[in-house]
Amino acid sequence: MTTGSIEAGEAKEAKSEGGAASKAGAAAKEKGDGKGKADAGGPSIVTLRKISRSFQRGRETIQVLDGLDLEVPAGSFEALMGPSGSGKSTLLNIIAGLDRPTTGDAEVAGSNLSRMSDGELAKWRSQNIGFIFQSFNLIPVLTAAQNVELPLLLTHLSSDERKKRVATALRVVGLEDRMEHYPRQLSGGQEQRVAIARAIVNDPKIIVADEPTGDLDRKSADDVLTLMERLNKEFHKTIFMVTHDPAAAERASVQRRLDKGALQ
Amino acid sequence: MNLATYARRNMFRRRWRTILTIVVIALTVVIFSAIRTVVVAWSAGADEAAQDRLATRHKVSITMQLPKRYIDDVRAIPGIKAASWAVWFGGKDPKKRIPFFATFAADQHTWFDVIDEMKVPAAQLAEWKTTANGAILGDVLAKTLEVKVGDRLVITSDIYPGDWEFKVVGIYEATRKSVDRNTMVFRWDFFNNDPRASFSREQIGWMMSRVSDPRKGAELSRQIDKIFDERDDQTMTMSERAFQLSFLGAFSAILKAFDWISVGILLIMALILANSIAMNVRERTHEYGVLRAVGFSAGHVRGFILGESVLIAALGGVIGVALTVVLINGLLGPVIEESMAAFFPYFRTPPSVLLMALGLALALGVAAAVLPARRASRLKVTDALRRLD
Repeated sequence: MTTGSIEAGEAKEAKSEGGAASKAGAAAKEKGDGKGKADAGGPSIVTLRKISRSFQRGRETIQVLDGLDLEVPAGSFEALMGPSGSGKSTLLNIIAGLDRPTTGDAEVAGSNLSRMSDGELAKWRSQNIGFIFQSFNLIPVLTAAQNVELPLLLTHLSSDERKKRVATALRVVGLEDRMEHYPRQLSGGQEQRVAIARAIVNDPKIIVADEPTGDLDRKSADDVLTLMERLNKEFHKTIFMVTHDPAAAERASVQRRLDKGALQ
Repeated sequence: MNLATYARRNMFRRRWRTILTIVVIALTVVIFSAIRTVVVAWSAGADEAAQDRLATRHKVSITMQLPKRYIDDVRAIPGIKAASWAVWFGGKDPKKRIPFFATFAADQHTWFDVIDEMKVPAAQLAEWKTTANGAILGDVLAKTLEVKVGDRLVITSDIYPGDWEFKVVGIYEATRKSVDRNTMVFRWDFFNNDPRASFSREQIGWMMSRVSDPRKGAELSRQIDKIFDERDDQTMTMSERAFQLSFLGAFSAILKAFDWISVGILLIMALILANSIAMNVRERTHEYGVLRAVGFSAGHVRGFILGESVLIAALGGVIGVALTVVLINGLLGPVIEESMAAFFPYFRTPPSVLLMALGLALALGVAAAVLPARRASRLKVTDALRRLD
């Protein structure tokens, strides 16, 4: 998928009737109550082999992940559930290149992350991963458009090209009329949609979401999940979401459960 | 938007903290500049001393006098172009209390040839040579004493009794800003012939000589002193700069203290800025984690923190420099030059001090951010993301 695919998808949708994200969500429901499979089943975009991750707390070693294997097909929408402390976020961090496994191999989007330096990982993340956080994590001193533009500052795109992409990303999330608003001027749901625009503006291969609906009311959470479904189905983004919310997990095409560092 | 936009926006995120930090830096720059101005102004005379001039005084102390005939021996030395002499009088205005001013009796034929930075119009100099009680004053002193050319002037002395009456025959102007414009010079022969100065008869306070080749100054100094080595009154000859510095000697401890105060002030500025930056960074650790997560490198985070710190320091520095120019060069300087002309004939902050203050503010801006920037950039992304604001 090229960086132009979100723009291309947008253009295609504009031609067909109804471009709203909610329609895509409705379509997903029609497919089978949130269990409709995305176009998964292709080659794996995430391959984890015998992944272990332990942390040292004083003299005690805490084993969070223990010999875990995982394959995520490109284009799938997966939800990972599990009790607190089960290692969900650690697994998400390893897939996103924020953390390295203590042992084992993590191959994501064609790169072996275990062998990359911090600098290489940062560059890799900027090209391959889009992040959606629970608490949105927008920069309060920047407008919605500037927040979305942030990852593009690491590219060699011209200012005009960056502006075009920002506008497209905000249009995808339905906030093209909030470009100049600061985060404090937006609702929680709108903030999360800006965060999603920031996550997709670089056209990453994978979107990782850590409790994306955790800080939202039901209605806003629904909107965000519908938008994520749309990104998966229309724009073929692979989405890996950690959640405690069964209703959110229902919207994913694959649901996994992690307990005591092992997938059930 | 570019990367600088983020650093710039961050600056005023905690508006009052940033404003107060900038104010502290600006005030520190003003205080630092003021102290350096005192040091520079105090030693300006020595710093701008003529390279080709030697000063000879009594070996024991400047307060002890030398026989006047010594001047002939000095003039006879090959390499000495001209020599003149003077004796301290210690004058003061009997009518009103005015700030200290220098008063001495000097040789009317040679003094202004040797001390040529005190410029006297030719006609006034000629009149001085024909007027026994003629006195030449600096323009600032003339203004203070409220006299002009042709006026009668009565002064008293700390050393010699009675009222001394003079006729103001000339006003000298300074060719350099560091020259004291608050001095009164009158004729040595008038002083020498007065019975009230009988205990100083045929005595002089110090000699000033001009040399043909400044590179031979040290050698000529030794030659002069050698001549008088076997006499009753031995001499000590030195460069004019050393002579000036010997007067500052008593104040050297104060000047040294000023140097330390300058350093202390800079340290305080660095600590305040470092504290402010450290607080900002601590509050934004989570945010730096987010930036790292979306692909910004550790170097970017270091750059944001250093950039913000340098911006704050630069803003404080520029405001401080502007305030210094207004407060010291515009307001305080002229007042000090008027009221303390003998000590500070020229009291303005030189551009070199302003540049130094600005440069140090910027350097300390970098220094203050080094530690917080290093810590923030070394933090693991996952740890940074776990931190709450």
